[in-house]
Amino acid sequence: MRPAVRARRRTLLRAAAAGATALAAGCSGGTRSVQVAVVWSTSELDRFREVVAGYPAPVQVVSAGNDIDAFLRARHLAGTSPDVAILPRPGLVTEYAERGWLSPVRASTGYAVPAELGELLTAEGQRYGVWVKAAHKSLVWHLPSMLPVQPVDWDALVRRTQELAALARRDGGPAPLAIGAADGWVLTDWFENVLADVAPESYNALARPDADWQGRPVREALDRLAGLWSINGAFVGGGRRALLTQYEESVIQVVHTRRAVMLVGADFTADVANPFRRGSEAPVTFRFPGTQPGGGPLIVGGDAAVAFADARGGVELVEWLTRADSFQPWLRAGGYLSPNTNVTIGSYRDGVGQRLAMEMRAPGTLRFDLSDQLPGAFTGSDGVGIWRIMQGFFADVTDGVRASEAIRRVTGLLAAAARSAGGGR
Amino acid sequence: MSQVRVLGELAVLDDVGPARRGRAYPAAGATSALLLPAAVLLGGLVLWPVLRTMHASVTTDGHWVGAAHFRTALAAPGTGAVVGRTVLWALLVPAVVTALGYLLAAASRRSQEGGLVRLILLVPVALPLVVTGVTFRLMYDPDPSRGSATLVATRLTGRSVEDAPQLLGPGMVTVALMSAFVWAWVGLAVLVFRSALDAVPPSLADAVRAYGGARRHVLWDAQWRPLLLRTTAVVFALVAVGTSRTFDLILVMTPGSVRDEASVLALRIWQTSGGTTTGDGAALGVVWLVAVIGGIMVAALFVRQAWPPPRVEAAPEPAPAAPPRRVFRLLAAGAAIAWLVPLAVLVATSAHGRVDAAARGWWSAPPNGESYRDLVTGTELWRTLGFTLLLATAVTATVLVVALLAAYPLAWLTGPAAQATGLLLLAASVVPIQVIAGPVNEVLGLVLSSGTAQGLALVHIALGVPFAVLVLRNAFADLPVEQVRDARLGGRRWWHTLRRLARHNLSAVVAVSVLEFVQVWNDLVVGRLFGGPGASPLGPFLAEQTRGFVSNSGALAASSVLASVLPVVLVVLSRRHLVAGLVSGGVR
Repeated sequence: MRPAVRARRRTLLRAAAAGATALAAGCSGGTRSVQVAVVWSTSELDRFREVVAGYPAPVQVVSAGNDIDAFLRARHLAGTSPDVAILPRPGLVTEYAERGWLSPVRASTGYAVPAELGELLTAEGQRYGVWVKAAHKSLVWHLPSMLPVQPVDWDALVRRTQELAALARRDGGPAPLAIGAADGWVLTDWFENVLADVAPESYNALARPDADWQGRPVREALDRLAGLWSINGAFVGGGRRALLTQYEESVIQVVHTRRAVMLVGADFTADVANPFRRGSEAPVTFRFPGTQPGGGPLIVGGDAAVAFADARGGVELVEWLTRADSFQPWLRAGGYLSPNTNVTIGSYRDGVGQRLAMEMRAPGTLRFDLSDQLPGAFTGSDGVGIWRIMQGFFADVTDGVRASEAIRRVTGLLAAAARSAGGGR
Repeated sequence: MSQVRVLGELAVLDDVGPARRGRAYPAAGATSALLLPAAVLLGGLVLWPVLRTMHASVTTDGHWVGAAHFRTALAAPGTGAVVGRTVLWALLVPAVVTALGYLLAAASRRSQEGGLVRLILLVPVALPLVVTGVTFRLMYDPDPSRGSATLVATRLTGRSVEDAPQLLGPGMVTVALMSAFVWAWVGLAVLVFRSALDAVPPSLADAVRAYGGARRHVLWDAQWRPLLLRTTAVVFALVAVGTSRTFDLILVMTPGSVRDEASVLALRIWQTSGGTTTGDGAALGVVWLVAVIGGIMVAALFVRQAWPPPRVEAAPEPAPAAPPRRVFRLLAAGAAIAWLVPLAVLVATSAHGRVDAAARGWWSAPPNGESYRDLVTGTELWRTLGFTLLLATAVTATVLVVALLAAYPLAWLTGPAAQATGLLLLAASVVPIQVIAGPVNEVLGLVLSSGTAQGLALVHIALGVPFAVLVLRNAFADLPVEQVRDARLGGRRWWHTLRRLARHNLSAVVAVSVLEFVQVWNDLVVGRLFGGPGASPLGPFLAEQTRGFVSNSGALAASSVLASVLPVVLVVLSRRHLVAGLVSGGVR
């Protein structure tokens, strides 16, 4: 369809929609509410509704679930995009911006995020999105009674894994690690943590169109991963079984059935762990270990708010969301990590939240989730893209394929996937 | 031939002579307007989107690119395996279902327990495929302390718990999926075969025996050749087309890591294009569309018959014949028990709370109602059930009205025109929605909006109309000429006639209504593609929870049970009408 025709159709639809809304508003005596589509559901959705209840105008929050991309594409085709959307990946923000779907947005004066995050939401020098929620993805979870001494660096983690695996093989003790390898993002999070530690300077380059997926940094990171993953007995039930284990089940293996000691997972692991806790013992965390003791990587994920072109009241709502005090209801309820460094540490309810927020502010260490920045299908979903490729690598190294051979295979696949998604050499 | 009397007198029309359709239903131009609603729906939401998809498969941004998209799509790694697996599904599964269906139909005939056996086999037919997927994933859980099938397999193979066979692993996942599909579909085959067997006149078998025919001759000459060949072809084609529904099962049953090993064209198209239809996705879609429509056309030509169909003499009350041999009866009983096992696992799992269901097997903890209590006291399930009920009712009512209106004028057609409409409707009723999702969204944008309840209902209506028209048209056309004459004499206006005709075809009307209702109630893919906030039906609601399958299994099993009650009750209560309606109308 020619753009002019589409524009006219959209205008007509807008007019019709506006007419209908005006009619509805006239009946109810209120003003038109701003529509926000979000990825969240259940308790997170409730929390966000509490947040926007503080906005001076009425806000209608709709949950589009995990398929928000498909949802928004369909709504765009139908000419009924919402005013604001909260997107789970920065790649979507730039993609939509390049297609002309979005309107540039402003941030309030109280908005300050780490520089590594802010630049991800700009296209052609314009800011098209703001961060509203962050996830700390460099944590290792365990029960204190199962692991009295926390490994301080990568070598200590490998040694500890070998000891525990030997124990497990000999007298059936708990496996050193639980891993939800059925969910591809679990494996990409592992990879990103190791990559950010092995080659921090090359990390961001991999998100760019000229990324070299067969280069030395990627191979080194994969080699380090292969060294740990290939330890006999490292995972509950072995590699094949781990590939059928979803992330939430892996949490249960640590906190409830105690068939594993450690689990690499993000801050939101607590939400899964709580209902399955046995007794009073709560799981604790340490930072994903790096080469240097205490100098581990910090991988951060996040959700960004955007306003659609010709949205009404969208830009204003986005600006309001960037204020330091807007998310107070969610901070008080817990389970929320703010990307905004102007949010005072004291606003966090518990010590863990405060510690994670502090870590986010340490200068220079932060890297944004790489797979979330990859173009097109390469970004991964079940059975697709980097998720699928990393699962293949995991299957290889846990199945006794030599590390060099497995790395050769996986880098070839990564490079090919990057090429066909429109990036990479 | 049965004769219907009006006020006790045989109706005599002025145009006496051999009964011909053309005289029974005189064509009238004005009634053709009744086709309008169906034509608009099918044209706008099926035909136009199909053409758009075809267009998209050979263009990029409106520029002609020839077969480039087809080459890219087919050359993409793994496409060969995906196509091969799709073909395997379309050949192997129907063969198994047809064979099992015939065996069990024959084995459960004329015996006391036969009715119960058929009833048990029928229950899985009515379940949403999402629920079937949940059920089998519970059984095939790779952990032998939870998955009962895995535990049995471990014991049988004598392996250790650590080395348990993995039915959901990459090697076996397609077999696991197929077993779930066969479980769900055999009941339908049994139902159709049973009515076919009942229609075979027993005198034929007697005649064969009288000429010294052995058991195999009876089977061949008195059962297979006269009727079962056609029925087999029909069942095979139905199931083969039904395998395009495997999408639901794959989405629910396979963990992300084995999705590639289980992938079929339906899933590949979904993964390539999501809710839009462009380039490679459109090319794959066209390949799939051509295969599905080609397959159903071949089946249709294979089983075609004279139109209007010759009247089959009403079979006299079958003489009481001997029940099947003991070994067959045992086979039927064994099958019924085997078919009950998955249902029992689902119900047993639902009787455990979140932690128990996730941490150990249903057999190792005492049952409680915790999962049900959480669901029933929450609002989400009720909201979803209420919305789905409303949606399914509204869609069914609309489809019925639109299809009745359209079937009335179409039933007058004769000769090639009738054959052509039949084939067109058949083709329209098997178009996979994934293929045309993008263009359908564009059309919805013009009239309503996707992501709203109205848009969702509209898509369901458009998808349901072709099959409903087909069944009702055939049922109308099957009516004895006398009944049509009566209706026309008794009804002063066309709608009186239509009402009378519909009353004579109660079975077809009931069959269409129940099937449409159950179809919408059980749907996953339409809800997923066109639903949205405020328009979230059961299928997507259940499928969404499988993302954390183990940690949600208690609630998931309980909501699956609650979601299945209504379709099962409807199908079981209306099963006689279903068969009668389908045999008189749809299966042709």
